Amino acid sequence: MEMLSVRQLNKIYGGKVPSRALTDINLSIEEGEFVGIMGPSGSGKTTLLNLVAVIDSPTTGEVLIGGRNPHKLKKGELAKFRRRELGFVFQDFNLLNTLTVEENIVLPLTLEGESVRTMESKVREIAAKLGIESILGKRTYEISGGQAQRTAIARAMIHRPKFLFADEPTGNLDSKSAKDVMETLVALNGSERTAMMLVTHDAVAASYCHRVVFIKDGQLFNEIHRGESRQAFFQKIIDVLSLLGGNAHDLSTIRV
Amino acid sequence: MTFRRFAFNNVMRNKRTYAAYFLSSAFSVMAFFVYAVFAFHPGMSGGMVHNNVTTAMHFAEGLIYVFSFFFVLYSMSAFLKTRKKEFGLLVMLGMSNSQLKAMVFLENVLIGLGATAAGIGMGLVMAKTMLLTAENLLGLDDTLKFYLPWEALALTLAAFLALFVVISAFTVIILRGNRLIDLLKGSAKPKPEPKSSVLLSLLAVLLLGAGYAIALIAKGMVVFMVMIPVTLMVIVGTYFLFTQLSVYFIHKCRSRRSFFWRKTNLLFLSDLAYRMKDNARTFFMVAILSTVAFSAIGSLVGFKTMATNVLLDDNPFAFTYTPGKDAGDREKAEVEEIERTLRSEGVDYSKLEASMSDQKTAGSDQSVYVVKASEFNAIAEAAGEKPVELNGNESMMIYYTNAAAGYREFAPRKALLETEGVELDPIGSQSSVTLPIFDDYYVVADELFEKLEHPSVQRFHAFDVKEWKKTKNAGQTLEEKLAASDSRFFSIAYELHLLNQAFGVVLFIGLFIGAVFFVASGSFLYFRLYADLPDDKAKFKSIAKLGLTDRELSGIVTKQLMILFFVPIVVAFVHGAVALTALQNMFGYSLMTTSMSVLGTFMAIQAVYFLLIRGRYVKEVVA
Repeated sequence: MEMLSVRQLNKIYGGKVPSRALTDINLSIEEGEFVGIMGPSGSGKTTLLNLVAVIDSPTTGEVLIGGRNPHKLKKGELAKFRRRELGFVFQDFNLLNTLTVEENIVLPLTLEGESVRTMESKVREIAAKLGIESILGKRTYEISGGQAQRTAIARAMIHRPKFLFADEPTGNLDSKSAKDVMETLVALNGSERTAMMLVTHDAVAASYCHRVVFIKDGQLFNEIHRGESRQAFFQKIIDVLSLLGGNAHDLSTIRV
Repeated sequence: MTFRRFAFNNVMRNKRTYAAYFLSSAFSVMAFFVYAVFAFHPGMSGGMVHNNVTTAMHFAEGLIYVFSFFFVLYSMSAFLKTRKKEFGLLVMLGMSNSQLKAMVFLENVLIGLGATAAGIGMGLVMAKTMLLTAENLLGLDDTLKFYLPWEALALTLAAFLALFVVISAFTVIILRGNRLIDLLKGSAKPKPEPKSSVLLSLLAVLLLGAGYAIALIAKGMVVFMVMIPVTLMVIVGTYFLFTQLSVYFIHKCRSRRSFFWRKTNLLFLSDLAYRMKDNARTFFMVAILSTVAFSAIGSLVGFKTMATNVLLDDNPFAFTYTPGKDAGDREKAEVEEIERTLRSEGVDYSKLEASMSDQKTAGSDQSVYVVKASEFNAIAEAAGEKPVELNGNESMMIYYTNAAAGYREFAPRKALLETEGVELDPIGSQSSVTLPIFDDYYVVADELFEKLEHPSVQRFHAFDVKEWKKTKNAGQTLEEKLAASDSRFFSIAYELHLLNQAFGVVLFIGLFIGAVFFVASGSFLYFRLYADLPDDKAKFKSIAKLGLTDRELSGIVTKQLMILFFVPIVVAFVHGAVALTALQNMFGYSLMTTSMSVLGTFMAIQAVYFLLIRGRYVKEVVA
């Protein structure tokens, strides 16, 4: 079943000198699929994510999530749509430091008005999956970056969304934590059948995806699928990145 | 670009960041200046206002100065806090510590000068407006004219230039000892959860409870004696209420999941403990200042109402006239003068008279007044009092009582008169305020009055006017004409006018000080809020991505703002109500309705202020 369908998406940023950020993007993501978006800085990756995740609105074109166009929803309905159907993971975690880990995770559920008992059981369940039971009572500044990102993933997944968006989730993490986070995402993707879209610079992180879409200058450049071996897929990604320009090193350190 | 140029550009090109600080400073200057305009008003040192009031006004001016100092100091430190990152950057680029201090110092002096000028400018406009309002609303004659306030101008300039220099010096202290890492991280560093002590929370409850109980139980002069300890108890209690009890209470709410995890409570309460702790001192100050303002204004309005009511209760007639002891023929002339004036002023009056006969009592050197029943009844009926019904040798004892005395009743007493050994054995006693006799006196039946000898008789003249409120001019003319005579002439309309004038000035000052404190405390909160705005904005932006409707967001913000705005005021309201009740117990006169209307007005003003700020804040956060 097609979870995300992007048709002829264009985005032009206005101003005195309008700049074209995205041109005629077409993209489709199936249920349970894990898709990476890569490209050099300024290529339009984050713009694409923002349009798909309804953080920004397109100039022309259409986005359908689960058959519905979220850009046509009213503001209040959109907020409810987000917290029921979508999950978000950000580079800088976006956890509230006035809340404990557990309270951060249940936040979307409290807004929905779930009962305390359901929330508690759901927290236990997801925390067990992510291996963060021991830090549930801690405050956000008492945990490591990897733990914080896993907390953010727990928050994004606790309501079993149909679609998860991750914007550079490993950007602020060391390689060990990044590996943990990616493995967590892959595991959830497998067990919950949640479609995921990952925007990243990190070829290692991208190699966990089923498919990686490359963007250059606002247009689709290439698309590669993962075969049996993650190692081989990683090499293919590096090759495409080299083709895109520059060498692999500066690409993995530059941020959009 | 010289260094001075850099500091100057930094201010001029960064207006938005500086606006809040500049405006709050200009506001303090304005409040101080407008107040000084009144305090130094030439009309104040004239006879209209008592000397003590002038002293009190200058004392209050000192209070406003202290308040301004803390206000500006606070705005300044909030302002510096938002710029920590910028300072960190400058230090990293190689700015020396002394250069940084010099820059901040220069900026502050620049802002201070600008704020002083702007504040005085706004103050001049404001003072003129307020004087006009005072004239029209309070019906003050020309006691408060607009004048060129040189003294106020000089004082404000000197006081605030000194203040800004001192505050600028403070900035240096605030910046000292800041490590680069702290500067660069700025306010991003998370704070540990605020703690509260159960013991101190309990103490707050105890102190407030005991203070209230004592204030409410005390009667009469005891109120006066317990005033200071109770005030101290309540002040300390209020302090712990905000710093401990509130945090404790929020903590308790947080630990109850069925409440804390419901809808937006999680978001709303999570910040509240921090905000409470951060703002506890502000709240405390606002609450105490507002209480002082409430109580002062409440009691002023109360006193005014009390004085007016006593005056009206005691004087049922528009004009009364009692000749002096040796008036003789002058009495007739003066009464004619009064009637002539009343006629020429077009006053429609009915004249009433009574003879008050001074009778020696047998066997003592005391004397009693005796009044003829028919005359007394005519006057009593005109005044709306109960007439007496007497026959033969009957008499009635009349006594004076009023609200302040609690309408106490007096039992009839016998009196043995010297004249032919007539014994007055009153058939009862009743109260009357009509005749200007301050002892108990006797109304006797007409036959009995005729039988008595009257060696010393005073005539009392009352002029009953239906529309007595319009008789102020006639009253003023006559009081002035008869001022030299030892006869007593009294015009209720004119006396009321004088009372209104005297109280009006004091009341106006009281309301003004109250308003200044009130608006100042509101602005204090507003600037605190403004300092939190960037953090709030970032937080709500990320939560909005998770799915938070605008309605829920504005709901959370509204609840938080409501707590910030109304908690101190509600505390002040309760304090004020208790204080006024205690005062009422002391004077034995009900100040309730008037003081409630004052408190209600302030609440309404605060509500309007809240709505304005809420609208702005929600718009800023959502945008």
